Amino acid sequence: MTTASPALGQETVAEPARWRRWLPTPKMLILGMVGLAIGYLALVPLYYLLWGTFFDGNGVTFGGFERAYGHSQILPLIGNSLWFAIGAAVLSLVVGTSLAYLNVRTDVPFKALFFAASIVPLIIPGILYTISWIFLASPDIGLINRLIEPVFGSGAIDIFTIWGMVWVEGLHLSPIVFLLMVAAFRSMDPSLEESALMSGATRWQVFRKVTVPLTRPAIVASILIMVVRSLESFEVPALLGLQNGIYVFTSRIYFVLRSYPPDFGAAGALAVGLLVLALIGVAMANIVGKSGKNFQTVTGKGFRPRPMELGKWRPVMGVAIVLYFILTVIAPLVVLLYTSLLKFYTAPSWDVFKTMTLDNYRELAGMSKAMTALQNSLALGLGSATLVMAFMAIAAWIVVRSRIRGRHLLDQLAFVPLVIPGLVLGLALSFVYLRSPIPIYGTLFILLIAYVTRYMPYGMRYAVISMHQISNELEESAQVSGASWWQTFRRVLLPLLAPGLLAGWVYILVVSFRELSSSILLYSPGNEVLSILIFEQFEDGEFTVLSALGVVMVLTLILLVSIAYKLGAKVGLNRN
Amino acid sequence: MNRLKLSLAVACTAALVAACGGGPPTSGNSGGAGGADKADYSQWLDLTGEQREEALVKAAEEEGQLSLYTSLSSKIIDELIDSFEETYDVTLEVYRASGEAVLQRVLQENAAGYGGADVVETNAGEMQALGNEGVLQPYQGEALDNVPDDGKFEGWTATRFNVFAPSWNTKAIGKGEQPKTWEDLADPKYKGKLALEVGDFDWYMALHDYWLAEGKSQDEVDKLFTTMAANGKKVKGHSVMAELTSSGQFGVAASNYTYIVEELKAKGAPVELEPLVAPAIVRPNGLGLMKTAQHPAAALLFKDWMLGDGQKVLAELNMTPSTDLEGALGDTERIALDVEKVVKENEKWSKAYEELLAGSDEVK
Repeated sequence: MTTASPALGQETVAEPARWRRWLPTPKMLILGMVGLAIGYLALVPLYYLLWGTFFDGNGVTFGGFERAYGHSQILPLIGNSLWFAIGAAVLSLVVGTSLAYLNVRTDVPFKALFFAASIVPLIIPGILYTISWIFLASPDIGLINRLIEPVFGSGAIDIFTIWGMVWVEGLHLSPIVFLLMVAAFRSMDPSLEESALMSGATRWQVFRKVTVPLTRPAIVASILIMVVRSLESFEVPALLGLQNGIYVFTSRIYFVLRSYPPDFGAAGALAVGLLVLALIGVAMANIVGKSGKNFQTVTGKGFRPRPMELGKWRPVMGVAIVLYFILTVIAPLVVLLYTSLLKFYTAPSWDVFKTMTLDNYRELAGMSKAMTALQNSLALGLGSATLVMAFMAIAAWIVVRSRIRGRHLLDQLAFVPLVIPGLVLGLALSFVYLRSPIPIYGTLFILLIAYVTRYMPYGMRYAVISMHQISNELEESAQVSGASWWQTFRRVLLPLLAPGLLAGWVYILVVSFRELSSSILLYSPGNEVLSILIFEQFEDGEFTVLSALGVVMVLTLILLVSIAYKLGAKVGLNRN
Repeated sequence: MNRLKLSLAVACTAALVAACGGGPPTSGNSGGAGGADKADYSQWLDLTGEQREEALVKAAEEEGQLSLYTSLSSKIIDELIDSFEETYDVTLEVYRASGEAVLQRVLQENAAGYGGADVVETNAGEMQALGNEGVLQPYQGEALDNVPDDGKFEGWTATRFNVFAPSWNTKAIGKGEQPKTWEDLADPKYKGKLALEVGDFDWYMALHDYWLAEGKSQDEVDKLFTTMAANGKKVKGHSVMAELTSSGQFGVAASNYTYIVEELKAKGAPVELEPLVAPAIVRPNGLGLMKTAQHPAAALLFKDWMLGDGQKVLAELNMTPSTDLEGALGDTERIALDVEKVVKENEKWSKAYEELLAGSDEVK
């Protein structure tokens, strides 16, 4: 990948005797196993998906494509999808990147708020986050609309439009960008910016001409993930779009999978469309990252990111951050907390406050499954986050550093699960493990496999971006000093990758608590997870209990993530 | 060290290959009973009265447990478990998911010869699909005598009915302003206030056929539905529909399940569905015994119980038990959903309803 760099790997180590070269070294074994594992995890569901798409009882078929795309409204549908996805991606990119920059590189006030702002929207289940926004900004019952009614007239803000969808999805996704970009900015040598400043460039010029180009791999990866995520997002289009007949891609997937027998051909055809888009994106990300050394900001020279002084902009930014914090964290959380204290949702009034109770929390505590579910979710979240990041750190080395043939294929493979509908992944895994001699079906392990598969694409992006930033010279000097590949990886690369790996780890831990579409098919009695509980409360129409559960989840994960960051700081991960 | 790693890698690869070796997947419709052993129900099916119960209880308690796959809501299933386990020394293990997931899981397990479920309890469409796949054991017993004919099916029996009826927010819709007939839903006064659920194509089919049978012309029926769709907002999921009706986002919900609305009403939410619009459209939900049950006696005992004492538990929870429709609906006229037609013409109606809702913008 890094064409400008000298060849690494076996070749640079002292030439061993010819016959010994055929024995696998520990390095080759580790790389081989990681490669095999990724290939296996990605190919099983892909094979299942493609088989269902292109084959029926009689042989090869393209009927699925006809049923999926031959819809009378397909053009407005694609238009809506793209508008929604690109809008949400741009919003989350702008918001996430600005926040990350301010947080890492400037002396902006209220830095403590960033932490919550980067985690809370990820934790709140999509369905609750969207419903909170209906209660806030519906033209009929929205609280914000009621507040501004005297000035702007009734129903000034309408959340049930494509702009409303972009707004909610963009804000909900912005933490992913924030986490990605924080890692990128942390690993950037500020001396480059400082020299530009010294040479008379304005701050804006520096940001545009130095900072942005240096973090291009991270930005491209963010766009890629955001667009694919928004194209696949279901809750926001279902709750906000459908109401006024705004249909998107995923509404189609829902309709074709709903019927019996489910039309896997059509669902597969839609997923294949997404897959093609995503693979083009990955290829583009690789081309952008290809200019090798340009992004390697962690080099042999020591550096210490020094916060840039914002000067007169400091109070302005402070206000902007407080506003953002109120919009993405406080407002939805307050709605959640408020709803969790009611028997049923009503707009706030004095009478309502008098009837508030803690009954919903009591009901939650009395739920026998709640504790088991919390434990299982914790185990799965910690397990899948750790496994994915460990594997992807090595996989990223293969993709970015090694010169092994087919390394780009590995990158593409790791991205595949992102476009596979959760239900199809669940079906594929149950198909395989129902027939496997190893008793995995019906245990927590099958869920672990599902989660690792689903979150592999994110882990890969986080790891690859960090790897792009680390200069080869550090590895080279370690090897020149006689360190083995594994020693170099463990003692040099891992610590340098740590900010990115930690960000990915936090992301996976948090979102794994929400995984439902494949969990629902794969769990068994006793192996319930929190998302199953959420689904049950949702199906039962217990929105108030569900809100209470949401509040508990937010608190639990905030605690967990704080511990992770504290531990990270202790071993020198956090440079703040 | 190297050798250890090598053998580890070989072992892993072998495991992966073994895991892969299941052959190509079929496209969902896996069909037919798989390799799991068939359970033998015959020794009990012909028995009646106390003799049957005694024999079943003895055998079931020896089996000790029962695995139920269901889409019943967790609150109701919890009550049922408590009540059943209090009566019999049998532990109930429950897998709970949406109807589609239950169906997919049973078919997958069955095709692989894995006996996961003993009994399945879910919506008519999914139960009928399972019946057609031949995985359900035909049932006989005295309990059937109390079930109306539109609750008896090949391989499964209705335990409860979901009742579709319009409901409304009492603050948004004044007294006397509520819909009194199904035709009223097309009334222009509900423009922008009406909500339609995107998955209720079976409701659409039932009402469509009812109106035709009543003597309306196809054009009149289509006109009613397009007006409804043009006046209506769309929502996904019945509980979201109820929640947004109670919060005032919607004025009238066209086709919610009565039990969801009753539940909210009982909590004091400003929702109402009475007087019930006639005819009430009822859709059975039912129970079937798996041919591959690992605990056949417990399964049969559970089915007998669900059609007996279990019905009382359902009634207490605002559900509509299948053995006492009159008790729940009074003398309101009712039409039962044509279950076989829903399964056979699933694609046609699903598509027609989807297009009806999607086309609504143009009618505006």
